[in-house]
Amino acid sequence: MKIRYNSKALMDLCLIAIAVAVIITALKWPLKTALFPVVVGAPVILMAMADLLLNLFGREKTVEKQAAVDFKLSEDIDQTLAIRRTLLASAWIIGFFLMILFFGFHLAVPLYVFLYLKLQGRERWRISLLLMLSAWVFFYGLFVWLLDTPFQEGWTFKGLRAIGIIG
Amino acid sequence: MINLQFEPFLYMLIGSAIGFWVGILPGIGGGTALALMMPFIYKMTPQEALPFLLGMHSVVATTGDITSVLFGIPGEPTTVATIVDGFPMSKKGEAGRALGAVLMSSLIGALFGAVFLAFSIPIVRPLVLAFGSPEMFMVIILGLTCISTLSGQGKRGLLLGMMSGGFGLLCSLVGQDRQAGILRFTIGQLYLWNGLPIIPVVIGLFAIPEIIDLAVRGTAIAGDVSFGNLGKGVKEGIKDTFHHFWLTLRCSFIGSLIGIMPGLGGAVAQWVSYAHAAQSAKTMEERAGFGKGDVRGVLGPGAANNSKEGAGLIPTVVFGIPGSTGMAILMGAFFLLGLVPGPDMLTKHLTLTYSMVWTIALSNIIIVVVCLLFINHLANLTTVRGNLLIPFILMLCFIGAYTTNNHIGDLIVLLVFGGIGYLMVRFGWPRPPFILGFILGSLAETYLYTSTTRYGADWLYRPKVIILFFIIVAFILYPFIRGKKLLRENEEPGEDQI
Repeated sequence: MKIRYNSKALMDLCLIAIAVAVIITALKWPLKTALFPVVVGAPVILMAMADLLLNLFGREKTVEKQAAVDFKLSEDIDQTLAIRRTLLASAWIIGFFLMILFFGFHLAVPLYVFLYLKLQGRERWRISLLLMLSAWVFFYGLFVWLLDTPFQEGWTFKGLRAIGIIG
Repeated sequence: MINLQFEPFLYMLIGSAIGFWVGILPGIGGGTALALMMPFIYKMTPQEALPFLLGMHSVVATTGDITSVLFGIPGEPTTVATIVDGFPMSKKGEAGRALGAVLMSSLIGALFGAVFLAFSIPIVRPLVLAFGSPEMFMVIILGLTCISTLSGQGKRGLLLGMMSGGFGLLCSLVGQDRQAGILRFTIGQLYLWNGLPIIPVVIGLFAIPEIIDLAVRGTAIAGDVSFGNLGKGVKEGIKDTFHHFWLTLRCSFIGSLIGIMPGLGGAVAQWVSYAHAAQSAKTMEERAGFGKGDVRGVLGPGAANNSKEGAGLIPTVVFGIPGSTGMAILMGAFFLLGLVPGPDMLTKHLTLTYSMVWTIALSNIIIVVVCLLFINHLANLTTVRGNLLIPFILMLCFIGAYTTNNHIGDLIVLLVFGGIGYLMVRFGWPRPPFILGFILGSLAETYLYTSTTRYGADWLYRPKVIILFFIIVAFILYPFIRGKKLLRENEEPGEDQI
């Protein structure tokens, strides 16, 4: 029998590992805490193992037929290009997180909108600056001024304050 | 009446205005928008927050039909069936007629759903009050089974749905245990003591994969489709709705019936209604016209995907079992507002429950009138380039997630679940069961614990529990039976093949 190693099987393995870890940890707890994790974990292991076996040994046609009635990623784009764009989009998302971490929301929001529009969107200077300003007005007006949301300072400013460069 | 007081009415208008745009833009779903708006309700009272959220959510399917008709791109997952006849009508130069028909049928559907909700409350009330912890636990399992069965195709879909739901339940374990106060999977982080926050999880799971896909497509949000003068024939479309009034009502009823069943949701309702509309064709020629621009193919799904909104609130409010993803997120909002779905909503908060009926009705009337007035202009937005939208959507996602606890951990949870959501979409794992499992996890644990503590193993033999068990088994067996039936039908040659 031919074994088909694939990423779907890896997803199953991850779920099995999580469920096994949950059960092993739960066994150390009193019954009232462990009851639900064990009741949920055990069938999850069984189902994930069944899916793993189907992925490894099931008929390819059946495996391919499985589809969630949910949002689907675009399929009409060249795969290499799709992977490249996915990685790029993920990098922009993580980049935004890092900007927030280092500069705080106040600076990260306008900076990110501008950089995305200019570097990724290749928009004109005027549009980029106008939208950057709109984003900042929206953020500051709604969240800071109107809703009074406390936003943390970025690490950069905390560091500069700690060494006494800014007051 | 709560809805006619100034502040709730204002919040409903704001919510409806947001829902209006969310429905039109294919990039953002109704569920995503609900999740994005949840941080704003912290300072609101339930009388303000529910009209705001429900006003937004109940009009999304109405305006989602517009994008489906104009560009053949569903504004919402629940408006896909409208494309089948709506888009060919647009291509034939009957976009105005199709829009008039779909908007009017949506309004009738929404009003029908609201009336259905209002009349169902007294009927289901005694039923709910008779349910104890064991039955409620079984109802949660039933909800998970329903959504698992229908959120995947065939037997394999059921398995994936159940796995996804189980994964959601496992994620709900994080945090301090309610029974003994033991910390579970908090990895030494104080932030996780209260469990994983719902909002960052939901935003990550639903918004991030759609944003990545929008970036991958690299086009305008509605692709490169152009449109002409849409205003023509709107009146004709409205007349069509009344010409086929009974069909519209029947499809609204179908939508309501499907909406009341946990886990089925609008996606199923629209297709069943479309099938019913197609069945209403009296001759072979009429039947052949479906899929090529028959207005009845627009009226059926248009009515059904709106009528299910009101009916979908019944299991959510009464049993605490959300009928769809949007309802699951809305239920999260209930908890944030200190409302517990179940018997309390039919006794202590009955006025609030009835205000939901009015919210659905009023917001849809207002939005349909606005749509009909500005039908030419509003479609322009779908041609906005994805690159212009992405930074703004991302900004909303990050700020929305952060405002949950004002903690950087919210953003980490957002990113982690964004990644999980992407992988789930990539590998065909349905997300609705996950979110249902995640939201209902702590409730299910409490019911299981209460049942076991109070009745031991005897709760398993209670008559209502046994009935619910058999219903669950029926739902599990459904894909198998259906698969065999389809196989048999394929094997038997039809009359015309002989």
